[in-house]
Amino acid sequence: MTILRRISTRLLLGVFVLWGAATLTFLALYVTPGDTALIILGGPDARPTAEAIAQVRQDYLLDEPFIVQYLHYFTQLLQGNLGESYRLRMPVTDAIGQQVGPTAVLAGTAAALALVLTVAIAVLTAQRTPWLRALVSGIEVVLAATPSFIIGFALLIVFSFTLRLVPVGGGDGLVPLILPAFTLALALVGSLSQVLRNELEDVLEQPFVLTARARGMRDLSVRVKHALRHAILPTITMSGFVLAALLGGSVIVETLFSRQGVGGLMLSSVYNKDLPVVLGIVLISAAVYVVVNLIVDILYTLVDPRVVTS
Amino acid sequence: MPVTRGRSTLGLALLMSATLLSGCASGSAAEKSSTGDPVDGGTLALSISTEPGCLDSHSISATQHQLLGRIIYDNLVTLDEDGNIAPYLAKSWDISEDGKTYTFTLEEGVTFSDGSPWNAEVLGQNFEHMRDPATKSPLAAAYIAPYVDGTVIDEYTFEAHLSYAYTPFLYNLAQSWLAMTSGKAITESPETLCQAPVGSGPFVVEDYKVGQSISYVKREGYNWGPDWLGYDGEAHLDGIEITVVPEAVIRYETLVSGQYDITENLPPQNAAAIEANDAFVYENLIRAGSPYALSFNLSRAPFDDIRVREAFVAAVDRDAVTDSVGFGTYTPKDNFLSSKTPYYDETTEGKLDYDPDQANDLLDEAGWTVKDSDGYRTKDGKRLTVVVPTVESATPSALLVQLQGEVKKVGIELKVDQYPQAQLTEIRYAGDYDGLAGVWHTNTPDVLFIRHHSSEITGERIGQNSSYLSDPELDELLQASRGATDGDEAREAYSKAQHRLLELVPGLPLYENPSQWAYAKNTVQGIVTDTSHPVPVFTSAWLDR
Repeated sequence: MTILRRISTRLLLGVFVLWGAATLTFLALYVTPGDTALIILGGPDARPTAEAIAQVRQDYLLDEPFIVQYLHYFTQLLQGNLGESYRLRMPVTDAIGQQVGPTAVLAGTAAALALVLTVAIAVLTAQRTPWLRALVSGIEVVLAATPSFIIGFALLIVFSFTLRLVPVGGGDGLVPLILPAFTLALALVGSLSQVLRNELEDVLEQPFVLTARARGMRDLSVRVKHALRHAILPTITMSGFVLAALLGGSVIVETLFSRQGVGGLMLSSVYNKDLPVVLGIVLISAAVYVVVNLIVDILYTLVDPRVVTS
Repeated sequence: MPVTRGRSTLGLALLMSATLLSGCASGSAAEKSSTGDPVDGGTLALSISTEPGCLDSHSISATQHQLLGRIIYDNLVTLDEDGNIAPYLAKSWDISEDGKTYTFTLEEGVTFSDGSPWNAEVLGQNFEHMRDPATKSPLAAAYIAPYVDGTVIDEYTFEAHLSYAYTPFLYNLAQSWLAMTSGKAITESPETLCQAPVGSGPFVVEDYKVGQSISYVKREGYNWGPDWLGYDGEAHLDGIEITVVPEAVIRYETLVSGQYDITENLPPQNAAAIEANDAFVYENLIRAGSPYALSFNLSRAPFDDIRVREAFVAAVDRDAVTDSVGFGTYTPKDNFLSSKTPYYDETTEGKLDYDPDQANDLLDEAGWTVKDSDGYRTKDGKRLTVVVPTVESATPSALLVQLQGEVKKVGIELKVDQYPQAQLTEIRYAGDYDGLAGVWHTNTPDVLFIRHHSSEITGERIGQNSSYLSDPELDELLQASRGATDGDEAREAYSKAQHRLLELVPGLPLYENPSQWAYAKNTVQGIVTDTSHPVPVFTSAWLDR
C-alpha cells in the first residue's frame, strides 16, 4: 500500500515535471531572438518570397500572441499530438522515432560500461596505499572535469588516427560503438567511482566487516559480497545525474563521431528554432527521467527495506 | 544561396594536432592507374559535411543540394561545357521577340521513379509547386519570379509566360534547386516530397535518415542524362551511400583511411596533404556568382562615405589574408563577379589594390584625422568603428580576425560580434550592421542584380542586397542586362555593370567561392563535374575495387 501510494505520488509529480519542462522550453525558445519564419525559410542566405513568409507565419501561428501559441501547443499535446517539424516537414514523433534507437544503444552501452568500470575501480582502490589512491583519484577528477569532446578527440587521435584500430565514425554494428561509448562512460566514471569509493571506505570501517575478516574471508570477497551492497546506495541515487549526463553528452558525442541519434537532432533543431522537435525531445527526455527516478526509488526499497518505513 | 559554415565545437589546436599526426599515417597508394572499361556494380561511399533535412529541391536553399539534387533529379535545361544553355528534359525551346514567351518542346519517354510520365502538364505543375506559398520556397520561387502562367499546347509542348524579359530564366532552370519533380507526387502528396522525393534522375532514394545518411539505388532504364556527361544509359553504380560527417578533420581522415571513396567538402587545411598523396584526386574549383566578400552597409556611417569604403579596401592585403585563411587553396579576388560566371569581364581586375598609404590619405581626407589612445582614428570624438556580426562558434572566424589586424594598421576598429544563427538572421534583415561577410552562388551574372539592385534591398520583401546599395545608374544597367538577349548585347550590359561596381565599392571582395572535394583515384572512375555547380556527378561513375 505504501509503495503504491509512493508510486502514484511520484507519477503525479512526474506529470507536473513534464508540464514544467515543456513550458520552460517553450518560453525559452519564444524569447530567443530570431524570426522563426525567416529561419524556416533558409536563414540569412535565402530569398523567400513575401507569400512564402506569410504562409509560414499563418501555418505556424507565428504572428499570434504567446498565449495563443502556447495553448494551441498544449491542446494538441493533450490529444497526443507532438506536432510537425518546421524544418524536416515531418511529424515530430517520426523525426524522433528515427533517432531514438541509436541513442538508446549508445547510452545503454555507455551506462553499462560506466557501471562496470566504476565498481571495478572503487572496489580495487578503496583503502589502498595513499599514493595509488591519490593517483586514481587524480585521474578521476581530470576525467570528470574534462569536456567529453576533448576525451572523444583524444580517443580518436590515439585509437583511430594513429593506431587505426577502430573506424573514425558512422556505421552500424559494435565496432563503431566502442569509442563513443567509452567517451560517454569515462566522464561518468570520473564522478561515480569517487562517490562509490568514499562510501566503500566508510563501510569497510564498520564492525561487520571486521567480523567477516575475522571469519577468514578473503579481502576481495569482503569488498564485493559485504561492503559493496551497503556502499552502492548513494551511487544508485546518482542515477538521475547519470541519465542527465548521458542525454547531454550524447549531443556532443553523436556530433563528434558522426553517429545517428537524438543528440544530433536536438542540436540542429535548437539552432534552427525548430520548436516542435525541441519540445518533443524535452518531453520525452523528461519522461524518461521521471520513470528512471521512479524505478530508482523502487530499487532503493528493495536494496534497503528500511527506506520505506523511515 | 548560402555556404553553410561548419560550426565546429572543437578546439583549433586539437584539429591541428590531429592533422599533424595524420600526416604520418596517410598514404597507401596503389600504383595501378586504371584505364579499363567501366565495371557495373558496387556502392559508392561518400561523406558530406551536412545535409539539408529535406530533399525537395523547391523547398530548400542549402549548398549541399547542388550535389544531392543531381543524384535524383533532372532539369528542364542544362548548361553545356562552354556555359551555354543546352537541352535536357526539354529538347528545344523558342523565345519570343519580346523575351516574354518561352515555348518548350519536351523530351518524350521520360518517367519519374514513381512511374508517372514527364510531360507539359508536369512542367506546369512544377512551376506552380515552386511558387506555391505552401512549398515555403527559400530560393526557387524567387528565381522564377517573372513567371506569370503557362499553357499546355499539347502533351509535349509548353508555353511559359513571363511578365518581363528575363534572360536568367533558363540559367536558373538549370540549377539543382529548380529540378523537376513528379507531377503525380506534387498533386497527390506534396507533404511527403521532403522525406520521400520523387525525381526522374539516375538514382532513387531508398532510405533517408535525416541528418545522418541517404542511401540511393540506381534507376533501372535511365537514359536521358544531359549530353555533356558523354554517357548515355543507366548508372554503372548499384547505389550510393552518403553519410553526414560534420567534423572537417574526420572527413579527411576517413577519406584517407578508405572508409569513404569520396568527400564532398575537403577542408582546406588538408589540401596540401591530399595533393601530395598520389592515391587521391583533389579538385579545387570555383563557383560562379558572387565571390566571398565583406559587404559594406552603405545606409549608415561610416560606410556611407565612399572614401571610407575605398580606404577599407586599400588597407587589406587580400593576398596575404586569403592565403592564410585558405591554407593557400583560395583564389584572391578583387572584383565583384566570379571569374567562372558567364559574361565575366577580365578588364575589371587589378583595380582595387592593396595600398595602405592611399588608405591613410583617404581617411585623412574623410575627416578621420585624430587618433585616440588605442591608435584608432576619430572624428568629432567618435571612433572609426565597423561592426561585423557573425555566427557564433568556439573559435572566432579566422578571416574576420585577420581583417581586424589589417584595418587596425590604418586606424579602423573592426568589432566582431558573435550571434546564434537565428539572431544573425534577424540582424541581417534589420540591416543592423556595418559589414557582413558572405557569398552567393548562382550560374548566371544576374547575381549582380540579386546582390546590388536597389529593388533587392530588404524591406517589404527579403532581398540579398546586403550592402543597401542604391545607385540609379547601376540599377538601370542591371535592369538592361536582365532583358538583354544572350550574346553581345548581354555581354556589353553586364560589362558596364561590373565596371560601375568598381566605382561604387559596395564591399571588400576577398576570394573566389571554392568547391573543394577529393576522391580515391584508383577506386573511383568516371566522375564528371557538373556544369552549373562545380560538384561531382555520379551518373557515369564506376568503382574499380
